[in-house]
Amino acid sequence: MLRYLARRLIQMIPLIFGVTLLSFIVIQLSPGDFLAEIRLNPVVSGETVDAMRRNFGLDQPLFIQYAKWLWRLLHLDFGFSFAYHVPVTWLIGSRLVNTLILNIAALVIAWLLAIPIGIHAATRQYSVSDNALSLTAYLGISTPSFFSGLLLLFVAFKTGWLPIGGMTSLDYDILPWYGKILDVGRHLVIPASVLGFGAAAGLMRQMRGNLLEVLRQDYVRTARSKGLAERPVIYKHAVRNAINPLITLFGFEIGGLLGGAAILENVVGWPGLGRLILEAVVQKDLYVVMGSLVIGSFTLVLGNLIADILLALSDPRIRYD
Amino acid sequence: MVRRATIYLMAGTLALAMAFIAGSLGAAPRLPDIPNPKVAAEAPEIGKYGGTYVISSISDFRTFNPVVSQDTASGLVTGAIFDGLVEQNYVTGEIEPALAESWTVSRDGKSWTFTLRQGIRWSDGKPLTIEDVLFTFQATFTPGVDTSNRDGLTFEGKPVRWRKLDERRIQFTTEKPIGLFLRFVGIEIVPKHKLQDALAKGGAEFSKTWGVNTPPRDIVGTGPYVLQSYVPGQRATLLRNTTYWKADRKGNRLPYLTRYIILIVPNVEAARLKFLSKETDAYSARPREFAELKQLEKQGNFTIYDGPESFGSEFLVLNQNPAGVSPPKLTWFQDVRFRRALNHAIDRNTIVQQIYAGRATLAWSAVSVGNKLFHNPRVQQYPYDLTRAQQLLAEAGYQKGTDGVLRDGQGNVIEFTISTNAGNPDREAIGNILRQDFTKLGMRVTFAPESFPTLVGKLTGTYKWEAIVIGLTGGIEPATGRNVWLSSGDLHMWRPNQKEPATDWEAEIDRLFEQTSAEVDQSKRKVLYNRFQEIVATQAPFMHFAYPKSQPALRNTLGNIKIGLQGATGELETRYYKTVFK
Repeated sequence: MLRYLARRLIQMIPLIFGVTLLSFIVIQLSPGDFLAEIRLNPVVSGETVDAMRRNFGLDQPLFIQYAKWLWRLLHLDFGFSFAYHVPVTWLIGSRLVNTLILNIAALVIAWLLAIPIGIHAATRQYSVSDNALSLTAYLGISTPSFFSGLLLLFVAFKTGWLPIGGMTSLDYDILPWYGKILDVGRHLVIPASVLGFGAAAGLMRQMRGNLLEVLRQDYVRTARSKGLAERPVIYKHAVRNAINPLITLFGFEIGGLLGGAAILENVVGWPGLGRLILEAVVQKDLYVVMGSLVIGSFTLVLGNLIADILLALSDPRIRYD
Repeated sequence: MVRRATIYLMAGTLALAMAFIAGSLGAAPRLPDIPNPKVAAEAPEIGKYGGTYVISSISDFRTFNPVVSQDTASGLVTGAIFDGLVEQNYVTGEIEPALAESWTVSRDGKSWTFTLRQGIRWSDGKPLTIEDVLFTFQATFTPGVDTSNRDGLTFEGKPVRWRKLDERRIQFTTEKPIGLFLRFVGIEIVPKHKLQDALAKGGAEFSKTWGVNTPPRDIVGTGPYVLQSYVPGQRATLLRNTTYWKADRKGNRLPYLTRYIILIVPNVEAARLKFLSKETDAYSARPREFAELKQLEKQGNFTIYDGPESFGSEFLVLNQNPAGVSPPKLTWFQDVRFRRALNHAIDRNTIVQQIYAGRATLAWSAVSVGNKLFHNPRVQQYPYDLTRAQQLLAEAGYQKGTDGVLRDGQGNVIEFTISTNAGNPDREAIGNILRQDFTKLGMRVTFAPESFPTLVGKLTGTYKWEAIVIGLTGGIEPATGRNVWLSSGDLHMWRPNQKEPATDWEAEIDRLFEQTSAEVDQSKRKVLYNRFQEIVATQAPFMHFAYPKSQPALRNTLGNIKIGLQGATGELETRYYKTVFK
């Protein structure tokens, strides 16, 4: 198992190299660069813009720029942001926790909702509740997250129950520790529910489908005919098998924890990584984008690895060497 | 004898009383540590102390270093924390003393001497000295520092020179007299004792100092507020500076507000929602929102003001650059009669109604109607008149065939493409209106928006474009936009970077700008700007559409509201809340 782990981790290196090289080329080849915005400022002369370009190192040939960046990366230096003049690590670090909080909350909501509801729907197939839940699920899957986000923001505005976007209130700093948790929680309701419900819809359908298939298997029929009560049949035997594919999904979700739900964060004003990276891509803040890509690829591969390990742990048929 | 004594007594008392009254009427307010504080003259009311003022900003702050800051959002913070030698009055546009209490200019116009106000301290208690001023200018000109302030202080390739005269005076010298010097010299002054180590390490290091990752305690300024905290992506909180150097007419030290908070919101919609739900107390509405917000005034306890026009507008520009366009298109675009005909065919009233909901003033001059100092109303106008347009085209040799298609003298069909940056709904709407207008003349016009970086690349790099709808912001002095109007400028969009002016009128504009730069007397500059605006209107290289009005909305609990240029509603230091309980 350890050799397998090591092999997977080593495979990550050419992957990250390939991803970053490709993205670097794409960003640089597209027209314009970070200085496009200031170019149209009537007060700033062309010479000043060229000097800025030299300061940022954007006037050098592409492969030299990439090589310099890679060399710094090996020393764990992600470079500086053009827009903010701060190290990329600080910039990403300042938003990392916010995105983690949001994604973890959404994950918890999604899974806590999806599994029980999926089981309920499968065991009462075609009943009224099953059909109602399926309908809700379809609605949830088809509504884009930004739309639901906007809708909920509007409801919050009209009713005044929830804060309108943001993550903390103005007086956050003087609140006691439980006040702080409550404050972030209140702000978390809208974005986490949008993300959570959206993901729950798909998961619920998956759970339902898997369980239905397992319930048709011979061994389930055997267990019932042997006189086992319905409860242990479903929960101890059937669900345990039905949940296998979902474990892989769970691993992928872990890989996506640091990913940004950029559009939703933008709509709701959540100060997370997604918004930061989206802005950086639009502005062509080169090293912020590259840094986020490295982190994104790393967590993705890690998530995949965790998914595979979890699968091996839960399914005795699967073995790695 | 008693009567004479009584008379002397009465005279004496009367004289004393008059002296006392005269003295108290004419006495300038004094602050204990500042002998000559600046009095906020624009503020109509004496305010109350206290309160928290919250506004929103669409983008996040990029830096807290005023030398490096180039964007509006960072300017909100640095503008509250730092001051320059001079500042601009937001109502009249005139330059007034700030950190410098007075200045003189030599007879030949080449030397400017500024005297620092006494008693001003940095927010960490150290006194402001002439060394800080010298240091700031030195940092601005250090190679490697990422600043845009250098261009304003460089004239004909040579930077301004400065030297210390004594402990309170600094002198700037230029090769030729520079009339605009006051507009550029007001850069925000930074403390030498906090930043000299960073500057010693080089320009690149200095650009990274006082960025958004700096502990707020380290950011030291002379302005009305001090940075208390910054939460990335969320807000910046500033606190009142208790040693600020401005006072109101009664001698109370400014500012009145205790806290000033800038919230970061993702977009304009969110800013509007926060204003309507009373989380913020100020909102710059767009022209289309005026009518709707007016209805909500009572419910939201605010007033939306009918503000003056902004200084910038959108315009259409045709490419007259042989390096970008070839004949026959080049011949049409370079033909002033063609341009004037197009100008008459633009339905500006529709643009005003559809895009600005009626809240914009038709633009005939390159200088905005809202620019009270320099706008020239007596320039050639191009009212919407298709007949006149067709007449001008016919006179210039462009004929409409029996198929309704317009052709030039050589039989080429008049067709071209209008471009703009995609994602800007105003410009996209205007582009469509223009396409329809020009099609009525028999031209084949396509409208094709493209991404902003592509557009900028074409405008400033390849020059391969035909017609573009775009906008520029304007400062109060047209000469600050010399990159646009000088024929050698790189933003002289229709034909940039000319070695020699290609036409007489461009040569005349060059001369006018040279003269304005040198002219210290503002009224004489106005005469030169008037001529400049006449030429631009007659030659129509830019066809401006309309100057949109501003419509600032403010909560009714705020005081000292006086609308100034471009919809500014007051000075930060004189803002106060009429009832204070937060």
